[in-house]
Amino acid sequence: MVLDISDEELVVRFRGHPIDRDNAEHYRGRLERQLRINRCKDCGTWNHPPIPTCPACWSLNVEAAPVSGNGTIYLVVFLHQGPPAEGVDYSVPYPVVTVELDEKVRFTSTIVGANNDEIEIGKRVSLDWIERTATPLPVFRLQTSEKSE
Amino acid sequence: MTSSRNPSRDLVAFAGAASTGFQAQNTEQSQVELALRACIAVLKQCGLRASDIDGICGTSTPEARRIQSGLGIDELTWFANPVMPMVNPVAAAVGAVAAGLCDVVLCYHAAYRLPWNTASSLKDPYRATGQATGAGMPQPETMAGAVGYAGWASRYIYEFNAPREHFGYVALNSRHNAIDNPLAAMREPMTMDDYLAARMIRSPLCLLDMDVPVDGADAFVITTTERARDLPNRPVLVNAVSLGMADQNEEDQSRSLERNGQHVVIESLKAKGDFWIDDIDLYFPYDGFTIITLNWIENAGFCGRGEAGVFLAENRDYESGQIMINGRVPVNSHGGALSEGGTQGSGHIREAILQLQGLAGDRQVRGPERALVTAGGFFMNAQGLLLRIE
Repeated sequence: MVLDISDEELVVRFRGHPIDRDNAEHYRGRLERQLRINRCKDCGTWNHPPIPTCPACWSLNVEAAPVSGNGTIYLVVFLHQGPPAEGVDYSVPYPVVTVELDEKVRFTSTIVGANNDEIEIGKRVSLDWIERTATPLPVFRLQTSEKSE
Repeated sequence: MTSSRNPSRDLVAFAGAASTGFQAQNTEQSQVELALRACIAVLKQCGLRASDIDGICGTSTPEARRIQSGLGIDELTWFANPVMPMVNPVAAAVGAVAAGLCDVVLCYHAAYRLPWNTASSLKDPYRATGQATGAGMPQPETMAGAVGYAGWASRYIYEFNAPREHFGYVALNSRHNAIDNPLAAMREPMTMDDYLAARMIRSPLCLLDMDVPVDGADAFVITTTERARDLPNRPVLVNAVSLGMADQNEEDQSRSLERNGQHVVIESLKAKGDFWIDDIDLYFPYDGFTIITLNWIENAGFCGRGEAGVFLAENRDYESGQIMINGRVPVNSHGGALSEGGTQGSGHIREAILQLQGLAGDRQVRGPERALVTAGGFFMNAQGLLLRIE
């Protein structure tokens, strides 16, 4: 299901994001609060960020498909300063995490609902959504279970 | 699969290297002026006139045509502006000379303080123009650019339980070496306490883990070894050059600390070159971020994975902080990107050349013959050079 929104509207909704023809479906998914990552329809390989080919089999039959949003923290940074963004003031260092999704592809966002000292590599997370400038932003939340690795 | 083919081996050389020196503040000069000043300095040093130059190659800005205009160079048969870091234009120039596209290349990099690397550059109206002002501003939730190095530093600490002092060894060595370098921007002594107390910027990396944004430029003359022999300075031969990139080269997708562009560079230099780390007298691992240096040292084979900190502890002077591998090989003898200034590797290459030519002033190492430069980071910009004299 693709939300009926024009290319022009999409670019306006995601002002500040590098919207292009190749990642537009990923951003359309965000408007439906669905995290879509490119997947090859021929060989099944997941790949991110969006590019029109499958790097594993060179197929051009690639689609932005929904992922579970479950994964494991792989990289963690706490920004003590950074670009201006609604809801982010850096007075408490702002966490940025790269999550290895269970689909074996990585996605980078922030963690909500956790103290910074709880945010560690190896912890399990789930997808959640917040709003920034009235537009859905995919984020992660710590799962209650303990470290997976 | 790494090819050992290297037909240009030792046939192309640096005939000279010169610099404006670097300042960690906004100068009254434009980026093109800085580049031109360095270019003029190296041409005078080499005794070359405008009509001797038939190739120009620098990092993206200023464009080669601006340098040609500024120096009144009659005609060029080859020019290019590859992206940073500095081994990109060097590799292009070596290839162009070896292939006969031109004979004498003027090569340059002008470091310039701009809004992407220092917010204070916005105080200069000439630097603030043309920059993104909202619509194109990045969001915080990304590992792209500098943030990625903090991300992989966190991974390194997680995998190897490395304390902050291991990163500090890199910063202290660079600062110690910059003290003797009149070109350097940061020459105040630094202690481990200073390092540990520095302001966090992108935890786990602090201010002193990051190179310093500067104004300043380096320039080089690259020509055939045969031609360089007729010029005033000792030719510094390019034994091997490599630009390495591994698949999944985005910052957050890079496969692991065991598989990125650095590994490609190391294997390529070993396959193409005539000497390796036991034979070198000078080592220049890039230090745009301390985490990069720790990984270069490990990947080059000086020690095992996760052992760089312990290796540095064993090869450094506790009092001064200076690293001397096996008591003999200095590391970033000019002060590196961390303390000379963020030059995208041009400072590392310039210093290697000046040391090999015996022109490094108070920093001069006795009789060095071979140098290894491993420039750039992990992702889309790892690169290396093997340099030697005859």
